[in-house]
Amino acid sequence: MTVPFHHPDDQLLIGYASGQERAGKSLLVATHLAYCPDCRQRVASYEALCGDWLEALPCTDHDGLDALLDRMDGLLTTARTSPEPAAIEPSAADRTCGQLVPEPLRSWLTEPIDTPTDDGSWREISKGVWLSAWERTLSGTTTRLLRMASGAPVPAHRHTADELLLVLRGAFRDEYGSYGLGDVAHYVADTDHYARGASEEDCICLFLLDGDLIFLDEDGNPL
Amino acid sequence: MPFSREPHVPGTLDKDGASGPDADQFGGLVHAVAQNRDRTAFAALFRHFAPKILQYCLRLGADRSTAEELVQDVMLTVWLKAGSFDPAQATVGTWVFTIARNRRIDRLRKEMRPAPDPDDPAMIPASLATPEETAQMVQSSRQLQDAIETLAENQSEVLRRSYFLEQTHEEIAEDTEVPLGTVKTRLRLALSHLKRSMRDKP
Repeated sequence: MTVPFHHPDDQLLIGYASGQERAGKSLLVATHLAYCPDCRQRVASYEALCGDWLEALPCTDHDGLDALLDRMDGLLTTARTSPEPAAIEPSAADRTCGQLVPEPLRSWLTEPIDTPTDDGSWREISKGVWLSAWERTLSGTTTRLLRMASGAPVPAHRHTADELLLVLRGAFRDEYGSYGLGDVAHYVADTDHYARGASEEDCICLFLLDGDLIFLDEDGNPL
Repeated sequence: MPFSREPHVPGTLDKDGASGPDADQFGGLVHAVAQNRDRTAFAALFRHFAPKILQYCLRLGADRSTAEELVQDVMLTVWLKAGSFDPAQATVGTWVFTIARNRRIDRLRKEMRPAPDPDDPAMIPASLATPEETAQMVQSSRQLQDAIETLAENQSEVLRRSYFLEQTHEEIAEDTEVPLGTVKTRLRLALSHLKRSMRDKP
């Protein structure tokens, strides 16, 4: 398998294509697209649908815009494209770890994703499972990295809204199947599910939460 | 010379403004802008697309002056980036939509839109897929096209209002004069009609 098998649902893809989806989930969808030629094609189809909808908008207003066209005359003479941003040179650390996290996520991260787990950038939440100190909240969605050592189970938890995972390294397993590089797992609110590292190397995922995450003790009580 | 006194490009617009989208015609105009900095071609593109961009921005909550600024911004991008338009990838209408979408997210929502970088060395190209995966992708793409074309009119309309115009279910119910439950049902049916089959978990 060279391309992802588990994809964002079409609600996310059309939301991303139309611009209706907000920044948090768009970051995960866009990073999945870098891994997934199939979903790039699907998003292009939805963009074409939106293009048709744009064409179909009823228009009655021409006069006001003729004045704007006149005003743009001078702009066209002076406007220049801003220089393209220089291509990002993969850092030495990225090169040595062999697999580069694709854009747009790479620009959001502050360091390579596989730093040692004892260097202060990871918080162990149970044996062999870590959450990154790196955390961003975008449009109400909390974005972190989740790291699972081989065979390590994510402890029981409850989430009050959507939870999404995108595999950036290694693989994990849940009751629905196995998730490898670029795969997306989407759990809706109040679903019970388990996750367990399923690769020799640590599995590292982009981890999105809309609501709160509450870890539970052995009796199912919030910790 | 101001554009409004320049002649229309023949065939681009009907007198009443109700033009039929003609991808080749618009593609030729974008090409003329890219190659020759052709202002007549630009004016024809402006006359066709500017009112649509204006309507799009107004419906997404921009006031008139912000909407006009967005129209100017989008059309200036068309002028500057005409050389990057690829007719093999999209129609001009779709290309203009993506520019308008990105600009209004930036301006109206004050958010940056995350997007993959086509020049990123970490991006996985379609050519890396196995022949079997490629066949599946072709099939998936064809199925989605079929699904889009066979959407029931009322489901397509709910989809359009929900995603393109970003209306809430309540707003859709009010505007289209159907019960809220019907709006939700139609949206659910539309999404399940589009949903990829076979390739992923149900």
